[in-house]
Amino acid sequence: MELRQKKKSRANIPTASMGDIAFLIIIFFMTTTVFTREKGIKMLLPEKSETETKVKPENVVSILINPEGALKLKASGYDGIDISPQQYNEVRRIVEEKLLERDTLLVVSLRTSKDARYQAMISVLDQIKLCRVVTQDGRELRANKISLIPTSEE
Amino acid sequence: MMRKSIIRRFTRTPDIPTASTADVAFLLILFFMVTTVFRATSLSLKLVLPKAKSTERILIRRNIAHIWIDNSGRVFIDDSLVPKERVSTKMLPKIAENPELVTILNIHEDIEYGTVDVVLDQLKESRAFKITFATEFGG
Repeated sequence: MELRQKKKSRANIPTASMGDIAFLIIIFFMTTTVFTREKGIKMLLPEKSETETKVKPENVVSILINPEGALKLKASGYDGIDISPQQYNEVRRIVEEKLLERDTLLVVSLRTSKDARYQAMISVLDQIKLCRVVTQDGRELRANKISLIPTSEE
Repeated sequence: MMRKSIIRRFTRTPDIPTASTADVAFLLILFFMVTTVFRATSLSLKLVLPKAKSTERILIRRNIAHIWIDNSGRVFIDDSLVPKERVSTKMLPKIAENPELVTILNIHEDIEYGTVDVVLDQLKESRAFKITFATEFGG
């Protein structure tokens, strides 16, 4: 009698907790996943050409960065003013002022010493990129024409 | 007859089918496993990106090439070490294959600008005009 009863009991794998285990693994993957998102400052490099494009000097704001990170800024009305690394936001003020004055013609030229820190150049570029003015007829202007002058050029 | 069927309906216990939850969950697991990309680059390269307030998110996912310059001035393009004067030889075939390629420059903040300048010149030579300076928010 006992033997017969044993034969009748069926093998059974409990699957009720499968879902729990699976969701536990999901939560692990969800919390450890890092979606790589690129971020940075966009730039468009110019074509390498022999012909020089002439820009009127009054439309140019030229910024020079020395190895210590100090700047010399030249523009019409500003005759070579010195800016220390603590006063970089001064760049933004002047470029915005010039942007209102010169509209879309404005070109910002950035000449960095080859011994200057990369962070110094990025900080100045940052200030130029932050420039945003609204003209009287309601257009938003940005300093779109930025030229990174190669260090080899004199 | 009528009465019997009503009674039977009342005694029935409500039942939510749970047999397929495991299948759904495993499907989600597979999705996350397939889409997860483990970052390996940060292990071997010591990089501190410069900080900038005007940092933007780059929305494109495809058509991207990476250039890394670490704190000792070594240049890597997509996981291989390249002399900085020969960046263009590596970039030219990439640009020929895909002219819309955006090059992301991951450069250590303390690098002297001379090195960056050489690489920028090489990029101009290989006609890789669309670039992005990788930065961190802040500054």
